[in-house]
Amino acid sequence: MLFKIEPRAEPSRQMSIAAPLIATGLTIVVSSLFFLSLGYNPLVTLYTFFIEPLTTMNGISEWLLKASPLILIACGLAIGFRANVWNIGAEGQLIMGAIAATGVGLFAPWQDSPLLLPSMVIAGMLAGMAWAAVPAFLKDRMNTNEILVTLMLTYVATLILSYLVHGPWRDPDGYNFPQTALLPYNGMFEVFDYSYRLNTSIFFTVVVVAITWLFTERSFLGYKMSVGGVAPAAARFAGFNASASIWIGLLASGAAAGLAGMMEAAGPLGQLSPQISPGYGFAAIIVAFVGRLNALGIVLGGLLLSLLYLGGETVQMSLGLPSSIALIFQGMLLFFLLASNFLINFRIRKLAMRTA
Amino acid sequence: MKRATRRDILKYGAATGLAAGLANLPGAARAEGKLKVGAVYVSPVSEIGWTKQHSLGIEAIRAEFGDDAEITVIDSIFRPQDAERVFRQLAGAGNDLIFGTSFSHGTPMQKVAPRFPKTAFEHCSGIKHLKNLGTFEAKYFEGTYVAGVAAGHVSKSAKIGFIGGFPIPDIVGPANALLRGAQSVNPDITCNVIFLNSWFDPGKEKEAAKTLIAQGCDVICSMTDTATGVQVAGENDAWSIGYASDMAPFGNGKHLTAFTLNWVPVYLQAARDTANGTWTSNERWLGLADDVIQMSPYNDDLPPEATAAAEKARAEIIAGTLHPFGGELKDQSGALRVETGQSLSDGGIRSIDWFVEGMIGKLG
Repeated sequence: MLFKIEPRAEPSRQMSIAAPLIATGLTIVVSSLFFLSLGYNPLVTLYTFFIEPLTTMNGISEWLLKASPLILIACGLAIGFRANVWNIGAEGQLIMGAIAATGVGLFAPWQDSPLLLPSMVIAGMLAGMAWAAVPAFLKDRMNTNEILVTLMLTYVATLILSYLVHGPWRDPDGYNFPQTALLPYNGMFEVFDYSYRLNTSIFFTVVVVAITWLFTERSFLGYKMSVGGVAPAAARFAGFNASASIWIGLLASGAAAGLAGMMEAAGPLGQLSPQISPGYGFAAIIVAFVGRLNALGIVLGGLLLSLLYLGGETVQMSLGLPSSIALIFQGMLLFFLLASNFLINFRIRKLAMRTA
Repeated sequence: MKRATRRDILKYGAATGLAAGLANLPGAARAEGKLKVGAVYVSPVSEIGWTKQHSLGIEAIRAEFGDDAEITVIDSIFRPQDAERVFRQLAGAGNDLIFGTSFSHGTPMQKVAPRFPKTAFEHCSGIKHLKNLGTFEAKYFEGTYVAGVAAGHVSKSAKIGFIGGFPIPDIVGPANALLRGAQSVNPDITCNVIFLNSWFDPGKEKEAAKTLIAQGCDVICSMTDTATGVQVAGENDAWSIGYASDMAPFGNGKHLTAFTLNWVPVYLQAARDTANGTWTSNERWLGLADDVIQMSPYNDDLPPEATAAAEKARAEIIAGTLHPFGGELKDQSGALRVETGQSLSDGGIRSIDWFVEGMIGKLG
């Protein structure tokens, strides 16, 4: 029997609903066999992975705290991805945002002013945008590959961070260990409850999700960019400006990533150290695609990925499952999810047997 | 310290109750009177290395307490954001004693510890200690000094090489002491240094080791979390010095010795004290005399006088008659830092950010 994969004329509506269900079903079946073969009760393991982390207030606070930067960055990335502008370096833009925000927080002369935090927000966003402007400029003027440039600039950002925390910004009272002093009280987001870590920065994410939805679904500019992504020749013919797409795609994602970095620095971290991001910039790429580049889908994708992180820790703590098993499970789920999404735009058709 | 209000007690009580209730699910019945111990590692436990040595401490607790201890281990927690969450969860789940095993766990533990005043926190390589947060750290530099004495005897090129994870005092100090040990045998020896800015990057470490060998170094000491330095040295017929675990199996017969980390006494003491209710937070800095730094068996091919000299240095450090940073001590630029008859203060060692005379390389 032969099969043929062919693109659908239109994305399948049934499939777009069925895809996550297929993925969930496959994950449950395959992971159950997997857990059984390792001697773990699959029901208990799945419960521990997906439900247990959310049974405490602290768990929910941590869930949202981790999902927030992922969603924020993925929203920015989606704007570019829709227009075929591939910003792979959100991680670097996040780091630059965190650096600029912390710099303002630690060294601005208006330390005691309530304007400290807002100025850090602006600094973080501008730094992320500036870092993304480099590949935008190179792509626009010299047609450089933005995938490479954004990725490479991530390493540059990591080195700048390393230089600062090992060198000029090192905490004078920190025994020369590579970290900055703690941000002042005015330069930190307020937590909702003193017992938990979730802080007011999550409102930024809510606003960005709304803006992204309006921009991609309701604005003419967003429409033009999507056309440029799907059919560049048609977009050129219609007179849509490709260079605007490049700049908007990269600057929007840079600003979102910079803001996310600022939120980490002024939220759970409170200072800079050589490692400030648990790979949010890269994980957000997965979130953007799991969410099908749609603002609401991204919210779900971010919540899912964040839950996968927490669940991976919970199964270690409660069941003693090795961390590598948790990673395999996470990979399996994401693979099924992205593979099922493929069926929305493509179909698999059986070919008639040839009788030669 | 914040006074516990009724609201706090209700909140934590509910959270602890819930967490404990859920912990019961997989059948782990929590009996009263059991010692609950949590440990957070930066990487999975492998055959050698930093986390392996900490896991030996936890295993020692398991062996001694048996069914009287309930141990929860979570690995691959490195970044501060994740660490704070994990420490909160472990404390909220009612663990009596919680170990953090990396410098990067420090700030998170400092934030979590005050919220759980009844929990004992122990932080390895920490610098700030609180009422219920103790710190412990090893005097790595004593181990490198002894290994340096052996290296001084075998180095023909009078050049040794050092690979470090990060240019922090806990690495810079041992690098300096390695050269001081070697110079006690041959004052003309120099030491080339490369920092990787990573604890675990075998690719970069391999390049670094090859570079040092190409520069003429014939003894390589690598303070990272891999055996790569030892391996590359062995492949290129250079001597090597292992760190954390005995790395002789990787050295191709050229592994001089290793300065290994034995945290078992620290872990057992903390567990016993917690079980007896006598635990208090301490600041400990332990070395050869405390058996926390140990020298692994010397290579059989070492000339007997080299082994004897290294053992003599070890005995003198334990006795307190030899100080690895005793004067006269000059820095890289030749400026006098410690006069004859004096030695560098403990604070000076813990915050050392300069190289001694004869070091080749830059900090940062």
